[in-house]
Amino acid sequence: MQISDQTFDEWVRQYHRLLFGIAYWWTGSRADAEELTQEAFYQAYRSRSSLRDVATAKSWLVGILRNCYGQMNRKGHVRAEVPLDELTVEYEGPDPLAADILALHCALGRLDERHRLPLVLFYFQDLSYREISLALDLPLGTVMSRLSRAKCLLHDSLKLPDRAISTAKVEGK
Amino acid sequence: MNCDLCKSEMYAWRYDNDVASFQPLFDHLDQCPECARLFGELTASDGRVETTFQSFPESPFLENRIIAGLAHQRAQAAAHRSARKWWVLLPVLACLLIVLFLAVEPWWQQERLNQQVAILLRTPPALQIVATDRRELLNWSASFVAGASTLPPELDRVQFRGAARLRFADHPAVFLKMKNEGRASLVVVDTPLTKDKGFHKIEENSGSASLWSDGKRSYLLLFNGNAQEMRAYMQKMGISA
Repeated sequence: MQISDQTFDEWVRQYHRLLFGIAYWWTGSRADAEELTQEAFYQAYRSRSSLRDVATAKSWLVGILRNCYGQMNRKGHVRAEVPLDELTVEYEGPDPLAADILALHCALGRLDERHRLPLVLFYFQDLSYREISLALDLPLGTVMSRLSRAKCLLHDSLKLPDRAISTAKVEGK
Repeated sequence: MNCDLCKSEMYAWRYDNDVASFQPLFDHLDQCPECARLFGELTASDGRVETTFQSFPESPFLENRIIAGLAHQRAQAAAHRSARKWWVLLPVLACLLIVLFLAVEPWWQQERLNQQVAILLRTPPALQIVATDRRELLNWSASFVAGASTLPPELDRVQFRGAARLRFADHPAVFLKMKNEGRASLVVVDTPLTKDKGFHKIEENSGSASLWSDGKRSYLLLFNGNAQEMRAYMQKMGISA
């Protein structure tokens, strides 16, 4: 399929924030998320002829982001520690939200990738099971079972005492 | 449905799912206050998690950085395409040169031949051996021009009075001066200069010439006169194909 430069630039404007957000929750680091998002768009541009249907552009881009994330991990990248400084600087909202963010970072850090990746897509962008299945190149049933398990693990993790510690850290800033 | 199965269904449930397929879950929730409480907690927590996920740092320059990076990639691709275009043109240019060479080369050879003929007609070389004995002259020539020391039958009636060695068209050759016709001379060249065995006429300001080949050697009859006079001489001496 022929995709014009103009169309691709429009996708950049439309989806860069989405990809950045997903990458941010996957990696836990803004710098890594920026790098991943850029690389995903560059790779997508180079392989744009492989897209069969423009209607699935969003899932296609997320799929490429997933591949880039896999490449980054294979190069020995380790998920960033919860960036407390970044949190206190970036979020100027009420403390409970900052505490939730920190807790979510901790909880996502405890999950393994096969649960973290679909979970972020599910909550962050509200992607349907089918879109997640397309983006992660997984069967629909696998996505559903992994999400069910991931949600269970996430909610259990959010109840752990760590959260109280994290909340105390943020509140004490 | 028991409570364990209910719990697992709770995590699988999503508001945009087909409600009918989760009817057993909702039936159980109606009957089990503990599971209903858990489901309430889970739904509330889900909402909070969704809200939290939407809070992530902004990256104000990211879009511009990506667009700039893409522009760079496109510029590089355009440069590669341009370079590739020239590489594709190279074989075409080479073919054109070969065709041009093949077309021009015979003309150029002919021009060169004509020039050398004109020089020989204007300024014939000084004789290095003076003799009227045909066999002696041909033996002397054979040391310089390869092959037997004989001439083809069409030259049987021609007599010579001297000879000189030279190079004609970059090949060894022997210049033989005719005995009975002062205007005529013969050049025997150690290579075939024509593809066929016919006579090729060459006309110059200072005279005429006729070139032919026997497949191994070439024979160039030089005549300081016009083409008609040369033809008359050739008929008289029986020089014909």
